[in-house]
Amino acid sequence: MKLFGQLCAFAAAAALLVGCETVASAPAGDYAVGTAYRVTLGRQWSDVSAIMVGRPVKVRLLTVDGPLLNRLYLTDGLAPGDFLVKPAAKERPTPTWRAGLSPTEQVEFIADSVAALDYERVETQNLRPATFKGAPALRFDITAKTQGGLDMAGSAEVAQVGDKLFVLLYLAPHEHFYAATLPEVETVFASVKPGA
Amino acid sequence: MNRLTASRRLAAALLVGCTALTGAANAQTTPNLRAPHLKPDLTTAEGGIWDQSDKAESHVRASAELDSDPVLTAYVGGVVCRVAPEYCGDLRTYVLDRPVFNAAAAPNGYVEVNSGLLLRVRDEDELAFVLGHEVSHFARNHTFARFQAQKNTANAMMVLTAGITIAAAGAAYSTARAGGPYAGQNINTISSTARSLNDLVYLSSIASLFSFSREEETEADQLGFQRAQHAGYRPGASVDLWNGELDEARASDFPKVRTSEVRASIFDTHPVTSDRIAALTAMGAGVVPAAASPATTADAARRYRAVVRPHLGDWLKDDLRRRDYGQTLFLIDRLAGEGEDLGLLSFYRGETYRHRRAPGDDALALASYRAATVQPDAPAAAWRELGQACHKAGDQACAKDAFSRYIEHDPKAQDRWLVEADLKSMQQAGGS
Repeated sequence: MKLFGQLCAFAAAAALLVGCETVASAPAGDYAVGTAYRVTLGRQWSDVSAIMVGRPVKVRLLTVDGPLLNRLYLTDGLAPGDFLVKPAAKERPTPTWRAGLSPTEQVEFIADSVAALDYERVETQNLRPATFKGAPALRFDITAKTQGGLDMAGSAEVAQVGDKLFVLLYLAPHEHFYAATLPEVETVFASVKPGA
Repeated sequence: MNRLTASRRLAAALLVGCTALTGAANAQTTPNLRAPHLKPDLTTAEGGIWDQSDKAESHVRASAELDSDPVLTAYVGGVVCRVAPEYCGDLRTYVLDRPVFNAAAAPNGYVEVNSGLLLRVRDEDELAFVLGHEVSHFARNHTFARFQAQKNTANAMMVLTAGITIAAAGAAYSTARAGGPYAGQNINTISSTARSLNDLVYLSSIASLFSFSREEETEADQLGFQRAQHAGYRPGASVDLWNGELDEARASDFPKVRTSEVRASIFDTHPVTSDRIAALTAMGAGVVPAAASPATTADAARRYRAVVRPHLGDWLKDDLRRRDYGQTLFLIDRLAGEGEDLGLLSFYRGETYRHRRAPGDDALALASYRAATVQPDAPAAAWRELGQACHKAGDQACAKDAFSRYIEHDPKAQDRWLVEADLKSMQQAGGS
């Protein structure tokens, strides 16, 4: 009877642990972003999507040194009505993706979403053409500041395929961390291929 | 039954205690006006609050939200000094680029003023009232008074809840000893009564603190009005300001915001705006400005606009990011009512419609961009957006012309290559 009780307790604990979501390893190699596409990671990342507060279902968040030091957002195709940043309250809506936005509006959608992550002075620069799974895409750089005044840098690629928006967004403090991880991020951006 | 009657008597007595608690914070004596240039000893409670304010100020100095325009900061600081000349050397003003109507004065003398406030006041007179209000919090040491009230209320709450718990335990013990067929039921009743009373004590204490905060705000309104009036500002400015806030709240897209200014709650930190308007209207009745009023209201608005003009575009862009399009349109209409900056304001009206995307907004955006581009102060982006809006509406000639003008106005635009690609594809499609 005592053994049965211990087994029950173990089973309950195991069930609880299975229910817990935590940081997962994203080893070097293929990383599937939903079913739409895969990227190739050149090194091990941490997949912190599970502990990302208020994460929209289609957004994955990877980091090397922790989300405050470098973060890479990868989205499965955002459908009209989806957002990159989930609103905290009805009275504080965040940018919503809508089909048919012009290229300038796609860039604006990312800049406004970064601002909705509580970054200040968000600006985009160096807008240039890119490709995403063979489709035309936009690439641009970002500067911003944390509320505490820390300079942030970023780079983003967006592609509208059909009525869906695919986003790859990298953000890190300008001091050391942005440049340190950028070569790996460039590899990831360049590695997009169709999903399994 | 006797035990129950006793517990009811206990409840009644403790209810009186709760009512007394509600008044505990209110009965605090507000400190007198602080003497200029004084700094409390750091070992005192007030010194501790100053120390916290010093830390908050150092964060503000490093904050990304800090506006770096020394001219604007000096202007706002000048108005602070005008309404509070005795504290001029004690107060340090910071303008923060936050799209929310707010300002605050900390106990150590740092004053922060949001760009959202500067965007909404229509002239220096309205700004002077707000700054007079905030300086009055500083002068009356309201932060420290609130700290004392919180401490006293917490102490009173602890004594009352302990008393209720001990009394209930005693009553339950006596009931159990007496026994009888209803003993268990009576003990449950005593226990649930004690729990309800403790909840009541807690809620009463919270409500009393909010009530205290509202009284401080009312006092600051009164003193701010007097300060602004004494400095020669228009007495009606305070009422105009709050009426404007009320109108803007009514224009909100969100029902909660629309009702927030008119629905009172015992847990509100500020009085209802309509009550503030009534109090200030009564205060202003028959008041003649003590000193010469700064020209006419229209002149004052123009002078104020000249000060904030360099920031208007950035502040409207920030306001648009709140995504309360009803309020942004209200603001733009009010700013446009002064008859100035019509290119910039029409552009942002178009931007608001473009972002809102309600039925009919495409046409409204197109009309707004068109209206913007005939004004000399239209930003270059107005041409690009006009081009996009025309393209969307199927007017390719308009789109081509607008895109060409965009490139003329901003030849180094980062999206020039995109616009040129659009132009090229339109020319190919049109065979020209």
